[in-house]
Amino acid sequence: MTRSLAVALNVLGLYAIALVLAAAFAAQLLLDELPCPLCLLQRIQFALLAVGPILNVRFGPRPSHYAASLLVAAAGAAVAMRQILLHIMPGDPGYGSALLGYHYYTWAFIGFAVAIVLIAAMLLFDREFEDDAQPVAVGAFARTGVWLVIGLTALNVISTLLECGFAACPDNPLAYELLKRMR
Amino acid sequence: MEFTALFLAVTIVMLAAWWGTRALALALFAVTFVACVATYLHHASDVLKLSF
Repeated sequence: MTRSLAVALNVLGLYAIALVLAAAFAAQLLLDELPCPLCLLQRIQFALLAVGPILNVRFGPRPSHYAASLLVAAAGAAVAMRQILLHIMPGDPGYGSALLGYHYYTWAFIGFAVAIVLIAAMLLFDREFEDDAQPVAVGAFARTGVWLVIGLTALNVISTLLECGFAACPDNPLAYELLKRMR
Repeated sequence: MEFTALFLAVTIVMLAAWWGTRALALALFAVTFVACVATYLHHASDVLKLSF
């Protein structure tokens, strides 16, 4: 795999992360389902997963960038697995609504597991790590992907502040705490 | 509140990765990642309200 192909795949990874963050926002705004603390932590892990690809696009692919993403994907999978196990008992309806038969935290676990496999697959190709002194040409498509992920993460700062206010987030949030206090 | 701070920290890490030096971005990433794991462990140690 050439260096430019690896960078292109990293850009696609950024768009995939942006899609996940946008879908979470859509569920929150359209279905009026506020994310619980563990749900927020999974969103944070998805956002943090984007740091490795951003570094790869900016400085060129390096094993340390992939390692950073691998650590985040493993932590994200652990958080999602904890939430799955919290609702594993028969008769438990789970938290929030289901999408195609799975709750969001189950989809999150699948997403993190897929990320681990894809990152490991990227690490199989040594050629992408050669010529790392060469600057990486960053096009508009890559720049858009980076700013999309940064913008969605910044929107989550505002959304979480509105949801939790300046106190600890409730386990089962039903309303935007900060908006409630302002009324 | 801690989740707002974590989202803000991740946004700053991303901006550092895009505009700053590699060393700064990786250092901020490490701090944010440790904060995420600490937050998870804090929540994981909560007493579960289960009824069997």
